[in-house]
This record gives sequence, C-alpha cells and structure tokens, in this order.
Amino acid sequence: MKIVTTRRISQTFFFSIFVWFCIVGTVGQKWWQLRGWPINWFLQLDPLVAIGTILTTHTFYRPLLWALATIILTIVFGRFFCSWVCPFGSLHHFTGFLGNRRKSAAQKIQLNKYRRAQCIKYFVLVLFLSMAAFPSLAATLQTGLLDPIPLITRSFNLVLLPIADSPVSFVSIAQRFYEGAWLILAVFLTAVFLNLLIPRFYCRFICPLGALFAIFSRFAIWRIGKREKECIDCKLCEKACEGGCGPAGNIRISECVLCFNCRQDCKDELIGYQTQSSLAGEVTNPDISRRGFVLSLAGGIFAVPAVRLSGKLAGNWHYKVIRPPGALAEEEFLKRCIKCGQCMRLCPTNVIQPSGIEAGLENLWTPVLNNRIGSSGCQLNCTACGQICPTSAIRPITLAEKLGTDEFSDAGPIKLGTAFFDRGRCLPWAMDKPCIVCQENCPLSPKAIYTREYFSTVRDGIFTVKRAVDKTIETVEETIAPGKFATGDYYCISEDGERSKIAANTENTLVISADKRFGKIPAAGGKIEVQVRLQRPYVDIEKCTGCGVCEHECPVSGRRAVRVSAEGETRSADRALLLKR
Amino acid sequence: MTEENDRNFGRRRFLARAAKAGISIAAAAGASYLLYDSKGPGAGGKAKELVTLPDFSLPARPGQTISVVKGSDRIRTLNKAIELLGGIERFIRPGETVAIKPNVAFASPPMLAATTHPDLVAELVRLCLNKARAKKVIVTDNPINDPASCFALSGIGKAASQAGAKIILPKAHLFRHTTLAGGKLIKDWPVFYEPFAGADKLIGIAPVKDHHRSAASMTMKNFYGLLGGRRNIFHQDINTIIAELAMMVRPTLVILDGTEVMMTNGPTGGSVSDLRRANTLIASTDMVAADSYGCGLLDLKVTDLPYLAKAQSAGVGTTDIDSLKPIFATIS
Amino acid sequence: MGLIHGRARRLESAVSICLLSILFLIGLGVFIKQFDMDMSRFGISTESDTGTIRQPPLRSIVPAGFEALSEITSYNPENLYEKIDGKASLYVESGFKELFTQRFVSTSDESLWFELFVYDMAAVRNAFSVYSVQTRAEAVILPAFAYAYKTGNALFFVHGRYYIELVGSAESGELFKAMTEVAQKIQANLTVDDDSRIAELALFPQEDLVPGSVKLYLANAFGFEGLTDTFTARYQIDDETITGFISKRPDLQDAQAVAKSYYNFLIENGAVVKNTAGKTLEGKIVDFYDTTEIVFATGPFVAGIHEAQSQQAAEKLAIMLINKLSKAAKAESND
Repeated sequence: MKIVTTRRISQTFFFSIFVWFCIVGTVGQKWWQLRGWPINWFLQLDPLVAIGTILTTHTFYRPLLWALATIILTIVFGRFFCSWVCPFGSLHHFTGFLGNRRKSAAQKIQLNKYRRAQCIKYFVLVLFLSMAAFPSLAATLQTGLLDPIPLITRSFNLVLLPIADSPVSFVSIAQRFYEGAWLILAVFLTAVFLNLLIPRFYCRFICPLGALFAIFSRFAIWRIGKREKECIDCKLCEKACEGGCGPAGNIRISECVLCFNCRQDCKDELIGYQTQSSLAGEVTNPDISRRGFVLSLAGGIFAVPAVRLSGKLAGNWHYKVIRPPGALAEEEFLKRCIKCGQCMRLCPTNVIQPSGIEAGLENLWTPVLNNRIGSSGCQLNCTACGQICPTSAIRPITLAEKLGTDEFSDAGPIKLGTAFFDRGRCLPWAMDKPCIVCQENCPLSPKAIYTREYFSTVRDGIFTVKRAVDKTIETVEETIAPGKFATGDYYCISEDGERSKIAANTENTLVISADKRFGKIPAAGGKIEVQVRLQRPYVDIEKCTGCGVCEHECPVSGRRAVRVSAEGETRSADRALLLKR
Repeated sequence: MTEENDRNFGRRRFLARAAKAGISIAAAAGASYLLYDSKGPGAGGKAKELVTLPDFSLPARPGQTISVVKGSDRIRTLNKAIELLGGIERFIRPGETVAIKPNVAFASPPMLAATTHPDLVAELVRLCLNKARAKKVIVTDNPINDPASCFALSGIGKAASQAGAKIILPKAHLFRHTTLAGGKLIKDWPVFYEPFAGADKLIGIAPVKDHHRSAASMTMKNFYGLLGGRRNIFHQDINTIIAELAMMVRPTLVILDGTEVMMTNGPTGGSVSDLRRANTLIASTDMVAADSYGCGLLDLKVTDLPYLAKAQSAGVGTTDIDSLKPIFATIS
Repeated sequence: MGLIHGRARRLESAVSICLLSILFLIGLGVFIKQFDMDMSRFGISTESDTGTIRQPPLRSIVPAGFEALSEITSYNPENLYEKIDGKASLYVESGFKELFTQRFVSTSDESLWFELFVYDMAAVRNAFSVYSVQTRAEAVILPAFAYAYKTGNALFFVHGRYYIELVGSAESGELFKAMTEVAQKIQANLTVDDDSRIAELALFPQEDLVPGSVKLYLANAFGFEGLTDTFTARYQIDDETITGFISKRPDLQDAQAVAKSYYNFLIENGAVVKNTAGKTLEGKIVDFYDTTEIVFATGPFVAGIHEAQSQQAAEKLAIMLINKLSKAAKAESND
C-alpha cells in the first residue's frame, strides 16, 4: 500500500470527522446531535490556540493539552498535521489539485516551486504572537482571525452549514442566522479560490499555524530527503509538491508538509523519509529576514495600543457587547477568545452572534448577543456556550451559578446586562396602546418586568351624551366606529367621575360593563370621557438578568421598545448600575 | 573515503538533531507542566492584589486635638490654628514626605469656594517645607472634572507648585484595588493609592460646603477624591461611603476652612450668593470632630449628618466636641 | 535494486497499515466518546421541559364585578420567603413546587379586594397536609368542595395537588361571593390529574367527629420520627375533646413495629403504664404527665389516642377506632 494513498485516506478521514463534528453541534441527545461528540477536538489539537492562550494568560488550560501531543509529534516527524490532519489543509490540497490538474508537468513544477514570499506566514505568526505576548501593553488574542482551525470551524458552522441545511432543515429546525456571515464567507472563499492561483496558497503564504509547525519541525528526526547527491534533475519530484519546499535541490524542511508526493513521483526512487538529512542538502530554518521579524514583532506590540485608541476597552466601551453568560471580564475575555464560533454554533436559540467591528477591531467575530436574531433571548436554563468554549473565554458555569441558586445564592444570578425601556417607542408609554408582551414573557420568577396601571383619555375622547338608558349611552359625536372600544381595555368616565368598563359598542353607542352601572346615569347633553387602561412596564433592575427575552418578544419589531444593553453585567464591576449588597 | 566522511558527518548531524528534538520535546512538556491549568479562570478573573492605605495619624495629645480660630484672613487663621495644636513641627518631622489632599473637585474659580482656597494650600505647603523642613510636599486629588483643568482653574496647581510642592495628577497606574476591613461598600475597589503610599504624612484640607446628596461636604467627604472607578455609584449610599472613607483614610491632620461657607446649591455652588462669611478655620487631628463643629457653620446639627454618627461608632473620632476641649482663638 | 525496493514497499505497506490502525483507533475513540454525555452540563434536564417559560396554570378567573389588581406573580421554593417569609418552610418541607398569586379588586368599592394564593404542592396529600394543619379555629366547613372551609374574610381549599387560599380585605358578602366564584372557576378550569380523595379520611368513625378536624402530618407526628403520614381527628365525647390518630403502614408487621417503637418512645419520655377496664386495650395505655395516651396496631394501621384528659373517654374512642379499623383491615385483606 502506497503511503500517498494512506495520506489521502487520513485526509479524508479527518476532514469527514471534522464535518461530522460541525453537523452534530446541536445540543441534544440523538446520535447525530451533540451527545458526547468531541466537537472541540481539532481546536484542542491546534497548538496555536494553546500557545496563544499561554502567552496571554500564562497558563496551559487543561482541555488544550492535546496540543502538546501535536507539538511532540511535529518535533519528531515534521509538519504531518498540514497534510495528514488539518481539514483546511485538505480542502486546499483538494481544490488546488482540482484547479490545476489539466496543467502540464512543466507548469506544475513551476507552480510548486519555492517562493520567497512563503516567509510571509512567519511574519503573520510573529505579529499575532507579539500582540498576545505583552500584557503590560495590553494583550489580545487575534490568532483566531487566520488560524486555520478556528477559521474553518467558523466558516463551516456559521456559513456553509446553515446554507446547506436551509433547504432540508435537518440540522436545525429553524433557519440559523449569523450577522455579518458574508465576511466570514468572503475570507473563506478567498482562501479557497487562491488555490487556483497557486496550490495551497493559504498554507504556503498565510497560515500562522503552518509557520508554527515549521518552527517545531526544525529538529524533526525523520525528514524527506534525497538518498543520492546526484540525480537526473528531472524535477518531477516538485510537480505535486504541496509545501513548495523544493525537494529536488536544497529541500526546505520548514516548508515540507509531508505530502510524500515527491517520493511517489521520483521515477528512480531517490527520495525517502529517513533520519538522514538529504544528501542534496537541506535548509532547516525558515527563510525570514531579521528586519521583517523585528518589524512584525514591533507591529504586533504597537498594534494593540493602536487598536485600543478608540477607547473600546475604556469609557467608550460598546453597550451592545453583551457577552454570553459566564464570559470573563472584557480584557480577560479578549485574551482567550479564538473566534472559533463554537458558542454561536451551539446556542440553542441562535442569539449568540459573531460581532462586527463597531465595538472595536479586536471584537471581530467574538460572541455577542443579538436579541433580534434567533428564536428567543438567552434561555434561563441553558449553559451550553460556556460548556463548549474551548479556551474558557466563556467559563463552563453550572446552572446553579447562572441562576444564582444553591452555593451561588449569595452571588445572585449572572447578569448579561440590563433591559431598558424606550418610552418613546413603547406602545403603552408612547402611544396609549395596551401591551404587556414583555412582562408576560419575562422568564424570571418573580418577574423583572412589572407594570403600573394608568388610565389615559383617548384622543378626542370627550363625548356629549345624546341619550342614555341604564348601561347604554349614545353620543352626539358620530365618530365611534362599532367595536372600537370593545376590547375590554376601554373605560367610560361619567361626569361625576365614576369609571366603568366598556363592554360593547355599536355605532356611536357605548355599552358599559354589565356588573357595573353609573351611580348617576348621564343626562342628555352631559359629557362622558373614554379612557384606555394601560399597564405601563418597568424594569426591576435588581432582578433583571439581561437575558433579552423581552427584547426578542417586543412587538415594536424594528428598533425594539425594550432593549438590553450591557450595563449591569456581572462580569465587569465597573459597568454596574447598583451597589453590591 | 568521502562517502565514509559524508556518512559520519550525516550521523553526527542526526545525533545532534535527535538531541535537539529530545530537548525540544522535554522543553514543551516541561513548559506545559509548569503552565498547566486544570480549572480555567474563576468567576472574578485573576485575583487582584489588594493594598491598604498607610495609617498617617499620630498619637493623640489630649487638649490639643482641635482648634477653632475666628478671623477673615485664611493665612493667619491657618497659622494660628496649627500653632494652637502644637505647631507644624508636631506633625511633620524634617526630611519627611508630606501628601496634601485639598478639595480640587471642580474646575471652578477660588471665588466660588467649591474647592479648597489656593492661598491656604500654598501656605500649608510653605509651613511643611520651610518651617517643618519636610523633604517633599505633594499635592494631589482625583477630581470629578478633568484633573488638569481642575488644578489650573481652582488656582491650586499654580499656588502649590510656586510654594514648592509637586502636583500629582491622577493616572490609571496610580490606582490600586483595596478592601476596607469591616467595610460594606469599599470592596475590591480602586483607590488613588500610589502618591499616598510614598508619603510619611497626610494632611487633608477642605472647605465647608453644602452637599446635595450628603447635606454637607467637609474633611471626611474630601477623601471621596481618593476613590477611583465609577465612584458615583456610591451616591446611592452616601452616608456609609463617607463613614467608610473616614475609616479607610487616617490623616495626620485635617484643616477645615469655614472662612467662606457654601450654604446652598452645593457641592458645585456657582454663585457667590451661595456663600456666607463665617470667618472660621478649624484644625484637628480628629476628622469627625472637625466636621461636627463645621456642620454648625451650615446651620446643621450633628444628627443631620448620619455619617458622623456612623464614623463615630466605627471608632474614627467623636462628635462630642466639648469632650476634646477645643482651643478657641480669634484674630482681629 | 529490485530487492531493496521490494523491501521498501513492504515497509511502506506496514507503515500504512500502522497509520490506518491509528486512524481506526481515533475513530473508535471518537465513537466511544460520543456515548459520554451529561446533558445536565448544558443546562438540559432529561426529565422535564424546564427550559421553557413557566406560565401559571390559571385561565381567566376574574369574578364578576372585580378586576385584577396585580399581575400573576409566581414564587419558587428559593424565593417563597419573599412572599410569606417565616411560613415558607412549612410549605417547602411539604413538597412545595410553586406559588402563584394575584390580587383582585371590586370595581365598585376599592376597599374590597382579595388575594389569591395557589400553592402547587406536587401531590394531593401534600396539599391536604398544609391545608389541614393550618385549618383555622373558627373554620366553617364548606360542603360544596372536597376539602374547604371559610373564615370571616377568607376561603381555603384543596384542589388536587393545589392548596388554595383566598384572603379578603374585609368581612363582606360581596367579597365572599367573588371569592367563591374564583374558587369554583379554579375547580372547573384548573385541571389536575390526581384528584383522588384521601382514603384514610373514611377510616375515622363519623359519630362524634368534629367536622373538618382531620389533619395530616406528613412527618414527625407528636414529635415522634416514626409516625409519618399520620392523620389526626378530634372527637367530642362526653363533653370532652379527644384526639384520635391513624397511620396506614404497608403491613401488619410494620404497623406493630411502629406501634411498639412509639410506645417505647412514650415510656422513654416519662410515660407510666396504666391499667385498663376493658381487656382489649391491655398494655397499650400509658399515663403521660396526667394525660392518657393509647397506641395499638390493627391490621396495617397504627392508631391511638393522643393527650386525652379522661381515660374513660379515651378508651371509648379507642374501641371505636379499633372496631372501624379492623373492619377496614378485613375488607382490605378480602380484596
């Protein structure tokens, strides 16, 4: 059995389980739902996730320990991950093959030669890691922007899967929405279509994870190399070289992704995978200039303060950054979030959304709640996002901690923010229309939204009595359409101030409620007033957890009349609205 | 021969590489072990290192706790008041660093008496530097408005630096988190710490003002300026926070300036018609006593200011001024 | 050359097989891992639909001439004390699940209002227990309901697993009429699956029984741990009020064991054995600080008399109980 065939099987295998992990990412117990599928496994294998968080937090979070295995295997065998495991790499491998299969051998050799620009990925890596490494200057973890595992996880889960699933509605019953998904898709498609230009374009020029593996593969014990110094120099070994590492000459070990195509293509079987260095010579170090290194290092150091000049981590923080329950305080959060989108994928109500850049560049694709999207706000009895977060940017809280019960009763429930009423838009406040949808939907017990009764005279609501018999009053004005005041919310006030509910109304005639009569039946020519009974909503700020269910349900469906903003969120003391007791 | 050499060379290279690979693996595993974190972050993120402000107070000297001097000239009343308590030398030793905390809360002119009078600050600086031969005097506050404009417009910045003091404006790195033992509100809260941490003595110097939330702002309320963060949240429980401030900050001496008293529209005032001349200046080592005397200047009783009783029961000082045998003097 | 390459190919195949085995093991590992699920970590309870918003089980119950004065408010075991403070433990210890409350006011007289309390006690016995132990002294039994009574300003009843209180602001006929209407609407609208009557109530002889005096103690009756699910009833015998009790056990042996241990409990706490006139009660009567206590087992029932002033009356009631219970035991064993 040829090793290249084995490699293809391995790539297919890992790509398939990766796709499978995307499909099963729905909270549930059916075999094709979440159950115990280790859907974070690829993220955990990714050493860039591990090293990035180590740099920002100085700890190696237990679930990421898989990355150590990847690192050790890389030190021993070289960049096996890129050509054997990485689902993004496999995708590039395959599209590169498809796009260039009609080209001649000479063209292919030309396409797959080593290029100086392959050093760009090292600068990308250095830039990201230096952004993460200097906490005194404000550290932020931005590797997730280009780290292939978070990138493909995000792209598949938040874009491709919803598109594929929308006609069949198999994975999720309701259509999933992700705000700004077009940008995620654009990045993904760009990366994929660049393979038509040069195979594995992303892997060779951009991939910071590949760059990291290149560094770890320096001392690889087994390596690809020529067994003889001299050969016929047919260059056929470079025809399908995935890494562009130039195996015909001085092979660049740091670029070699162990695809074994060279070994396959060498007619004289002169290329092997062995402990001996290539007899034709090899280059172990990545080809990076000192100037480029210093520039990208300095760029990373100064990028964070530059990004933060907008004050989004200071007083100018964005009130719309409502993080999922259990999210760390903002600075700590940004040190851990890798923008993989697993929380957004898993969220049963689809309320967790990828952030745009309005809350700061660093925030791109980090999770925020948008209560206008999805089936409801943050569900009271759900902690899925924290349980799935691979880096604990959202802590794996228990239900007791979220709800503030049991041992957490002193701390109280976790607040995501606070709901605020926009009295200029709220129906009972601004338009004298009865509505208590928000109050009814508040999931808390006791409810955080309460109402106060208020009677408001309707527009042109003073009528002159034409005739009144017991409970039936006919008006002089001919403006009352049948049924207008018969909803049960309208009341009739007599001249002596008696208020009674209007039970029915026909054309220009009001009938007051049967169980009530005016103390004095209004005389002809007297005045009556029609009032509407309103229950105006208020937020009990001590109870509100900012779950956003009210905002989701608000019938003022454009700009909602009740909106959650992040003030009062538990995770940051300086955004509190009330003193802690 | 060359082939043999090549092979030997190759073997040596391989061994070197294998050794390096082994070391790399060991390093990776070792680093992982050192950095290993099985639990992930806790609810509060990383625990902050908490600090406690030093205690600047001196042992009490019975009969020389509080002095009240009547007179319209602040400089003379200040000198007299301190002299009556034993002179500035009682409080400041040669070579010491003195922190002075005036009320620089607003960017308002000295005339409005919303801030400590600059002449008073300057004179106090001179007393410390020239008479008590302090090594260094710093004048600092964390104002509500923009600090630089507050120090400039109140006149305190210029007066103090001309007198030889160093002005320290609040900056984020000067704040540290503190928790007041026995406190209810000051818990893991940022305080303006660094300037005071390096000082040997602390003198608070504040005007007597009406205050919307707390009825009166005097020497105790003056230390509100030490709070960082979103401190306006404490306005919900103003009496407790003032009492807790008095527990947290233990000044060497406080000066309460009642020469001109802001009677109405405090704490900002805004009109001279808010002011009344009371021609009184108090020096005291007991903030509670100073404020208890000062509230009389606002036509308030001690019981009108619940924070006084709270502070007294917390053992900060006494509202019973007579028990301290205050020293009265008048300068014509 | 051919030999070397042949060996190389074999090695290649061997390595491939090794690698494929590793892939197989990874696949197997993933497959095994997927069985490892604990949905409660995600906040998903496998038993009930706790993830949904709870709506009170009440439909429109506003009585004629009244309107709602407040929203329906609900309380759970954690925050019940916010509503009823010190009394919360009584409910919580008796299986309380949820309380819904709402206030209604007369449309003609603002001073006439009442508050409705609907306690979901999870089971009819729990509901009856909290109902019965709180029964007010001046209770007037309402025969229109299964278990219900009224006082001057209030109405209390059990409806399936719910215990319901209607507390008025005044002693008024109009209020009482409205509260009765609410009670009837609840009976008609609030569906309950466990509506069964409590069998033990029929075990008390009706003669001389004080109406509405039956109480159910779910645990710790008379301060004795062993007496669970114990019903007590008051009797008016010879101008004296006497309390009898019955607790149904699984079988005769258990009943005898509980009767024995309760008897020992009384002796340990200072009771003195008494002689009896009638033979049937020999060895079952004790004097407990000048009151008479009787305990015996009949069939699967533990029963007896508690704190009777007169031994004569106590024995009379005891014999009434024995007769009734032995009939019941016989009927049961015949089934």
